[in-house]
Amino acid sequence: MVKCTIRRALIFLAGLLAAAALPSAAQQPPTGTKAVQVTGLTGVKPNAKGNLASANGNLEFEHEKAKVTVPIHSVEDVITGADSQRVFRGTMGTLTMLAPYGGGRFLSLFRSKLDILTIQYRDTDGGLHGAIFTMALGKAEPFKKELLAQGARTSVPVQDDSGSSNTQEKKP
Amino acid sequence: MKRIFYAAVASSFLLSVHAGAARAQAQAAASPAKKVSAIQVLMIQSDEIKLPAEFQISLYENLIQQLEKKGGFQHVYREGDHNADSVTDMVVLHSTVRGFKKGSEMARNVTTVAGKTSIDIHCQFTDKDGKSVLESDVNGKVRFLGGNLRATLDFAKKGAKLAHDNFAANPAS
Repeated sequence: MVKCTIRRALIFLAGLLAAAALPSAAQQPPTGTKAVQVTGLTGVKPNAKGNLASANGNLEFEHEKAKVTVPIHSVEDVITGADSQRVFRGTMGTLTMLAPYGGGRFLSLFRSKLDILTIQYRDTDGGLHGAIFTMALGKAEPFKKELLAQGARTSVPVQDDSGSSNTQEKKP
Repeated sequence: MKRIFYAAVASSFLLSVHAGAARAQAQAAASPAKKVSAIQVLMIQSDEIKLPAEFQISLYENLIQQLEKKGGFQHVYREGDHNADSVTDMVVLHSTVRGFKKGSEMARNVTTVAGKTSIDIHCQFTDKDGKSVLESDVNGKVRFLGGNLRATLDFAKKGAKLAHDNFAANPAS
């Protein structure tokens, strides 16, 4: 009787484990990185959150139901930078500014670092566009390398690209 | 004695008025009376000032967005757009960064009075042949709320207004 109960419990446990493991195996983790499009992409609202990836020779930004693609060969410049932002931001962050005894100011001291990825690209008519993305710290540099490997160009070599750049660095 | 004093005061006043008018005339290179149907925006140049790439792109994109939002021009062309080649009724906007001070959002939030971000840009409008038709200095800044890139939006609004007021064929829009 006891053996039977133990066997049933083991089978039940194995079933639970399999059920938990199967969906994760079926659902492939999304490639690319989570990013916020600050500005620049046509048809995307400023500060839209989405997934930034490079696939099939295209730079893809997927947000909500829409997907914007930019051919990587049209990317003329990729530059990375760094910045920081408030931990408490958005509506909540604005409301914290009303906190008494300078509580909002105190909360402003809490900041999180982030990476900035800036690209310049041309549309089919030759018009110059720019786009700015922010992403988690340490994600921009590998993504830049990925873009460069697929044919994008840069004015700042990967090793030297620390912090921000300017147009002076573009000069030979 | 009094007459001499009054004459001196009056002449100095007239001189200062004349100098001011001459300065204003010099800033606006020519009378911007000509209205056009299209404008082309060139990428922001920052040869002398070290400007982070995200600010350069944000200035350019915000300027184009604000010009489109403001209306008055049938077309707002980007740099390098082939469609602009055949358009004659058009002005070209050249923007050069003359000053940049990157403030701190944290300093603004904590102290209220410190941490201002400011960008000074020289805007030059030329016709298709490259002849200057209007020059002006435009400033963008963020003093209190918002990130540093918000200064670029401030500049874009002022720059778009300058273009709209002087060149838009349909200023009512």
